[in-house]
Amino acid sequence: MSLVTLLLLAAALIGIGLYGALSQQSFVMLMMGLELMLNGAMLAAVAFWAYSGAGAPQGQLLTIIVMAVMAIEMAMGFALVVAVFRGKQADTTEALSELKQ
Amino acid sequence: MIESLASLLMVLVVLALGPYVVAVMDRLVATAPRGALASDVWLGPLSRAAWLLTQHANATEAPDWQAWRLAPALYLALAAVGLALVPWSPTLIATDLVTSVVLWGSVEALATVVIFLHGWSANAVLPLIGAYRYVALGLSYILISMFVLIGAALPAESLQLTQVVASQESLWNVVRQPLGLPLFLVVGLGLTFWGPLNLADSTDLAGGTAAEVSGPSRLVWECARAVMLVAFSGIAATAFLGGWLGPWLPGPVWVLLKTLFVLALLLWLGQWLPRVAPERCVTLMWIVLLPLSFVDLVWAGVLALWA
Amino acid sequence: MEHSIFVDIAFLLLAVLAVVAGWRVFRTDSMVRASFFLLVSFIAVGAIMMLLAAEYLGVAMFFMMAVEMMVMALFMVMFMMNPAGLNPMMMVHQHRLSIIAGAVAFFILAAMALFSSFPADPLPAGLDPVRSLGHEMLGDSMLIFESAGIVLLATMIGVVVLSSHRGRYGAAEEGSVPPGLEPGGDPAGQPEKGESEGGHEHHHHHH
Repeated sequence: MSLVTLLLLAAALIGIGLYGALSQQSFVMLMMGLELMLNGAMLAAVAFWAYSGAGAPQGQLLTIIVMAVMAIEMAMGFALVVAVFRGKQADTTEALSELKQ
Repeated sequence: MIESLASLLMVLVVLALGPYVVAVMDRLVATAPRGALASDVWLGPLSRAAWLLTQHANATEAPDWQAWRLAPALYLALAAVGLALVPWSPTLIATDLVTSVVLWGSVEALATVVIFLHGWSANAVLPLIGAYRYVALGLSYILISMFVLIGAALPAESLQLTQVVASQESLWNVVRQPLGLPLFLVVGLGLTFWGPLNLADSTDLAGGTAAEVSGPSRLVWECARAVMLVAFSGIAATAFLGGWLGPWLPGPVWVLLKTLFVLALLLWLGQWLPRVAPERCVTLMWIVLLPLSFVDLVWAGVLALWA
Repeated sequence: MEHSIFVDIAFLLLAVLAVVAGWRVFRTDSMVRASFFLLVSFIAVGAIMMLLAAEYLGVAMFFMMAVEMMVMALFMVMFMMNPAGLNPMMMVHQHRLSIIAGAVAFFILAAMALFSSFPADPLPAGLDPVRSLGHEMLGDSMLIFESAGIVLLATMIGVVVLSSHRGRYGAAEEGSVPPGLEPGGDPAGQPEKGESEGGHEHHHHHH
């Protein structure tokens, strides 16, 4: 376990998450991709805190903030999905193509 | 080194004996007040276990086999984590994490996932309804438990259970925060869906999440619920009844006695309280008990500022 | 930081678990399983954080993500077809592009990790990470922390507004009809005209 291996793991998680966020059609699976990316970001933040931040408490605080952002993202995401589903019976991104106009 | 080995051994012993003790005590509590002790108090649990072991394991149509078989084992593992957090003495403890109070909170949260998985993976209607019920209720138990436990951690100024015990040297939390233990006992009945709060595996759902389970995995599921009840009693005894503190006897004996006391109290409540309907239970949790847990936390905070 | 060989072994196993579980999220046939695979990935990362001495953050990952993924699984079952995973499920678009984008992101980040030099400034001896985090949150960074709390409160209000049944302009699901059984057909599952209004029976589904 070293900074490099930790960052490689974080990079792998972010890569998989990006693939999921771009490729999935359903809203909820898309959000899972975003969450996986944030997972990698949190790991990287903690790794930097432990190995090159001299234990500055702001490193840990950043991770707490990311967790709060994840909660907000999920709550707002689901509320929007509920609203969209009520209005259009849509649960995939393609079904919302008229939003482009 | 010897002490950590001894504490691990203790966890294993409680894992092995816990279900039997819970079953015997439950029978005693159920029959003793009526004056007639059931004849099968001592051997009944063993013969039921043997009967379950020899039963054919039921299969439903297209269940998620991995999750279905894994869920009881995972619930047992969560109970074991809970047991490992209970300090038997200042040094005799399996995992003395600085955030052990929060880790117990995560055990409660993960139990929700495991119970849902158990009901969902059977791919049958009644287990799924039981699973949904537990999720709806489990979220309210977790919130109450969180506030009550933060209250218990406040006087210790630490999230470590050994520190929480040390802070009760002069006054146990059960006296210092009178609302804490009663609220926490409700959480315990909910977490193991025992007695009045048995809504996930209740008889109106023909057994709920366990409706389709038979044979050895049913045995594991029942054992896991019993061990979770024991682990919860241990945590409650640590957080509110002063853990190893007490005169004359050595610390581990006090922990054992207090754990058994909380366990008996829970089983007695489980036998003699009426069952609540799920809708009313949610109302009760959110409108009565959750505000009470706020009051408990404010109480603890004011006392901590004063001291 | 010096650590024993056991920490390295544990890290390796947890890292493999995190990546494999994260990959399985998008390769399983059931949405519920997908969200629980994601939970496994989070738990593995939380355990790695605990190996890194961030004991509060690791444990916080466990309970935050347990509840979050539980809610996610519920939404999965509500919205998605095929919740139990009885049929193969692969709902993707721009698949090749996504694979390339994911791989490129990984390689760029990995190259940054491998070829840039970061200061080696490990945790000082005697640091109590939980205490230092607490003092930071309720000390110098209190404004940030409290702002996060306010934003969460605003989120709660916003979510209730967005998803509530009744809005200022009438019931939220007014005008929402399920799709027809055949393209362009009548909406499926609607009550016959003249029966009691259908909107209110929603309340009974939740039990």
